[in-house]
Amino acid sequence: MKTRWEYVLLPSFLIVGLLIVASQYVFLKGSFFKDLGLGRISDTASMVNYLRFFTDSFYLHTLWITVKTSGLAALFTLTLGFPVAYLIARMQSKWSMILLAGIVVATFVTIVIKVFGLIIIFSADGLVNQALMGLGIVDTPYTIIGNQTGVVVGLMHFTLGFGVLLLYSVIQTIPRSLEDAAQIHGASRWRMHLRVLFPLSLPGVTVGVLMIFNMCMGAFTSAALLGGGRVFTLPVLIQRTVMMEIKYSMAGTLAAVLLVTVLLINLLSIYLIRRLRSARLVIA
Amino acid sequence: MSSSAQLSRDASSDSLSRIAQRRRKGPPPKRGYPWGKLGHYIYCALSYIFLLSPMIVVIGASFHGGEYYTAIKFPPDDPSLQWYTKIPTAQFKALALSFGLATLAALGACIIGIPAALGIVRGKLPGRSVISSVFRAPLQIPAIVTGIAFLQLYYLFGDATGLYFQGTFIGLYIGHLFVATPYVVGTVTAILQRFDVRLEEAAFSLGANRWRTFRRVTLPVIMPGVYAGALYSFMVSFADVPISIFLTAPGFVTYPVELFYGMENDFDPSILASSSLVIFFCLLVLLGMQKLVGLDNLLRSGSR
Repeated sequence: MKTRWEYVLLPSFLIVGLLIVASQYVFLKGSFFKDLGLGRISDTASMVNYLRFFTDSFYLHTLWITVKTSGLAALFTLTLGFPVAYLIARMQSKWSMILLAGIVVATFVTIVIKVFGLIIIFSADGLVNQALMGLGIVDTPYTIIGNQTGVVVGLMHFTLGFGVLLLYSVIQTIPRSLEDAAQIHGASRWRMHLRVLFPLSLPGVTVGVLMIFNMCMGAFTSAALLGGGRVFTLPVLIQRTVMMEIKYSMAGTLAAVLLVTVLLINLLSIYLIRRLRSARLVIA
Repeated sequence: MSSSAQLSRDASSDSLSRIAQRRRKGPPPKRGYPWGKLGHYIYCALSYIFLLSPMIVVIGASFHGGEYYTAIKFPPDDPSLQWYTKIPTAQFKALALSFGLATLAALGACIIGIPAALGIVRGKLPGRSVISSVFRAPLQIPAIVTGIAFLQLYYLFGDATGLYFQGTFIGLYIGHLFVATPYVVGTVTAILQRFDVRLEEAAFSLGANRWRTFRRVTLPVIMPGVYAGALYSFMVSFADVPISIFLTAPGFVTYPVELFYGMENDFDPSILASSSLVIFFCLLVLLGMQKLVGLDNLLRSGSR
């Protein structure tokens, strides 16, 4: 039985590789040419777009907002999602099925619909504001539309379902008997979490959180709809640059900066986690 | 896992925790819930409320009784079904496109992804980790970057050959396939790594040929991974905005993009009605999946 599996892989590899190289090459190359307006670009390559990006405080601020909202959303998703994933993974009753179904439906439904619901919830005479104003906590209606809180909440709705599914599959791989063992040896519940579950789930959780972060960095719906034209993230700016200003090169530059930022943050996090692990700071 | 194995495992862990109780002379250990069971349940309930409330509100508000410009509220003031009858055909067209696209994307992702996973796990490959990270790369590229990259690729390709993919089904499909494939590769790879090769050897020694072995032994074993990957790809394609928004054209839009424009421009309560239909539809698909393979089976295979 000599099946040459490496040949089976070849067609897929060629298709995916070609798509990656071709698509990335075209926009990266385009980002080095100056826009002449109306979608035309100049003939000579230059760094003019990049110079503009890194000297204009508006662009730099946008980059910072993008990283900040995505990072916050990823962290909050982890905080809200991990206990839920843990609960479902360790549950033995039929209820786990129903809880899981709730998560999958939430993942299925497009973020546009969820943003819709959020806008209704946080509208001036919506549920939240009626409650807040009725209790006398706020005088003027509280809103998440048009500020960064709204963008973070929107991003969390975009990723939470997915995050729970990812974390669920990570926790599934950690045998429960290890938790029992730790407790039998007298570890408190917190200590068990800190010394057993956390280090064991760390590689999977890192990958999961990075994936959520990547999703946020590329997400544009929540920021476009909940930012209300006041909060700009790079994805929103890219869409505007293409659709309204028709500057393909500048959009290419923004996309390139976004791509490089994401890759750098990914590499850095993985490097740091490796260092931590080898330094035995995490696994004691 | 057989039920008897499950039982004996539970029994043994029960007796173990009794031993632990005796040793520590304290209250019995509460499995892994740092804030106690009740605290954990409350925390998770709050997470669920956060996660599900927008969808519940959308369904509730879709029974809005007033006219266009009266404020949409939850719960609605005078419930009626009027907006369900006023869903414009454009939204149904968009929904049909989204559904077809997502189904084909899931199918295509399987056709590309399964051989890729087989090759990654079993092939004698130089630089296996590089190859598998190539297959994972579309997940690392931000979605909006993928969108604009394909748009510019299509423009360039069109200028060179006269064949413009922008705003066509093929163009949209390639973009969706690009982001859908890594999920199938991931789930099937995860299952294959645990696959017992002796099963195949047994099939061979019993006289099955290569194809028969694959179809009757390998495929059934990796099927949960295939279903999981297909489900993920379907979801990603069905919900996508950032890629589709660049690759669609006026009159040819996917459902999320149609909704997006609807929300940005003239707000129409019929969007709420069709959104509710989509939520119910998703529940139905899920029920089908549950009957077909079982959700926990499906998601246990993990996404990587």
